[in-house]
Amino acid sequence: MGVHPRALDYAESLPDGVIPDESELTCGTRIEPGKSYGFFTDTTLCIGCKACEVACKEWNGLPADNLGLTGNSYDNTGDLGANTWRHVAFVEKIGSGDDRAREMKPFQSNWLMMSDVCKHCANAPCLEACPTGSIFRTEFDTVVVQQDICNGCGYCVPACPFGVVELSLEDGKAHKCTLCYDRLKGGLEPACAKSCPTDSIQFGEIEDLFGRARRRVEDLHGKGATDAYLYGAPDTPGATGGLKHLNAFFLLTDRPEVYNLPVAPTRASDRVRPSFLTGLAAMAGLTLAAAALMSAGRERGR
Amino acid sequence: MTGRPVTAETMPGLPVEQTAIPHPAVREWNGETYYDLASLKPSPFDWKIAAYVYVAGLAGSSQIIATLADRLGDGRDETIVRNGRALALAGAVIGAPLLILDLKTPGRFYNMLRIYRTRSPMSFGSYILTGFGVASGLTAAAHLIGERRADGSRSPMRRAADMTQVPAAFLGAGMSTYTAALLSATSTPLWASAPRAMAVQFGTSAMATAAAALSLGEQIAGDPENSRRLDGLAAVSAAGELVASAFAEKRHHEAGVGETLRKGPIGTSYRAGALALGLGVPLACHAINALSKRPSRGLSVVGSLALLAGGMVMRQAIFQAGNKSAERPDDYFRLTQREPEGAKPRRRVDRAIEGRRNGRDPGRLP
Ligand code: SF4
Ligand code: SF4
Repeated sequence: MGVHPRALDYAESLPDGVIPDESELTCGTRIEPGKSYGFFTDTTLCIGCKACEVACKEWNGLPADNLGLTGNSYDNTGDLGANTWRHVAFVEKIGSGDDRAREMKPFQSNWLMMSDVCKHCANAPCLEACPTGSIFRTEFDTVVVQQDICNGCGYCVPACPFGVVELSLEDGKAHKCTLCYDRLKGGLEPACAKSCPTDSIQFGEIEDLFGRARRRVEDLHGKGATDAYLYGAPDTPGATGGLKHLNAFFLLTDRPEVYNLPVAPTRASDRVRPSFLTGLAAMAGLTLAAAALMSAGRERGR
Repeated sequence: MTGRPVTAETMPGLPVEQTAIPHPAVREWNGETYYDLASLKPSPFDWKIAAYVYVAGLAGSSQIIATLADRLGDGRDETIVRNGRALALAGAVIGAPLLILDLKTPGRFYNMLRIYRTRSPMSFGSYILTGFGVASGLTAAAHLIGERRADGSRSPMRRAADMTQVPAAFLGAGMSTYTAALLSATSTPLWASAPRAMAVQFGTSAMATAAAALSLGEQIAGDPENSRRLDGLAAVSAAGELVASAFAEKRHHEAGVGETLRKGPIGTSYRAGALALGLGVPLACHAINALSKRPSRGLSVVGSLALLAGGMVMRQAIFQAGNKSAERPDDYFRLTQREPEGAKPRRRVDRAIEGRRNGRDPGRLP
């Protein structure tokens, strides 16, 4: 992508204020309410620099946590949570113990790195579970928790099929990635995508992103990287069990489980009907049995 | 590993390559996890919600039994009616604070009634609880004011109580079992793997514990005949629960997720507390009583107490085991190797879309 012609209007290093529709200059996308936006995270481009993690914490004012070393490669963040909305996973494909590889193919990375995030599911289980309406779908087709409504019931937490949303014990509310709702309103590209130096995280209109991602997969296949595939695009792993698609989807090169993702996650609310109707049927049967026993007992008792 | 492997046949839509290189998403899962870290977050529900499930079931089913006793009874069931209505109200009165105390921002509990959502048992369950509480409160209050007259006729107040008890009983059926839907409609492997069996488990346990509590009341009131009928109901329900538990275990096994409920201290308390003490002992006690000419009061009381204790152990064990299963990535990944129960498209148009999709050329990337 070349430099946008409008960029020349803002050549000074300290602009006076917010650049109108700045996202057009940084990622070629104009942000308009009513359209669907999302992330395409191309893990083959990730270098594990964690700029996205830092940018997210900075912009959203999230406190640091998990200070310490996990011993799991360079991943000292661990997982997504109330205070971590981007998380870079590090997978070292060199085996372990006696299986540790001694020779490696030249010019091949033996690392898998992936910047994980809330998937902003098309049929978001967290949203469907929320009894207060605190979790809602924004005008940008993203999924956001309204902090002034959440009462900390915690039902969204086990509903999410990706273990994303979490309750904070500090304030008793649920927190997760907002896809920078405030920035989108101001015409800014989300902080993580803007800070990503390799464009591993790409922000844009979701249909554009799907197209871009498919072309990228074909491109990679053409180069011999036949392992590349999409996770969370329509009809691919991750977009299963009624989830339709994920507004934040990924390009992966190994089994989803390797990156801590389920291959066929499901829409939790699809289980409400079978369970509740079966339960009511059982109660109807028990009521009949109770009625029979009550009356029969009375006959005998006479 | 149980469950079907993910291949192009079992998961249509997966991209398949023409080359001999196995596609990474199509090759079988070899048990890889990400440093064995959890892939899900466990629910923040603790013993309070498990206790609520128990109390809600007991209260809901008590209202059903009270209603049946009132409709079908001949006046000698009056204590069942009274105790049942009192238990129903007590359940709503104890249950609501248990739920509210488990909120992390309890001051905002009223937001539960801010919207209504059929896809969220936490949402429609709040309405069931509210409606049940109101109807049971009215029933119990009117009952207290208008006891049946000595000649067996009913005062206007008592008739009002008899009217409000009908909606209360219907909501009682919901109270007895919606909590299973609440658990199943999550991604927690143990709960998600057996939505139907768990609903029956919770429902039958609700009826069994309600019958047991009311049977104890009859023993105290000195009516062994009534106790015997309630014990019969308790035994039938407990037998149903035993079957449902077996089905649930089969489902867990098929999905490869049952270990947290089978092993360790939780497994022991589930087997010894919920199954042996909670179902085996009462079934034995009530069976002996049913067969003998002179039923023993002691056996009936022991059976009822065991049932009541077992029901609580069962809920607590299922909660703890579920939360633990959410922290085990291999449980979740085993479960998600297959399309789970209950995800089949319901509407004709969805099935049509699904059908068209399955006919697509799988070699092309979508
Ligand atoms: S990934 Fe989880 S938290 Fe994010 S939208 Fe989907 S269900 Fe909600
Ligand atoms: S914790 Fe808050 S956001 Fe999550 S389901 Fe409950 S009310 Fe909704």
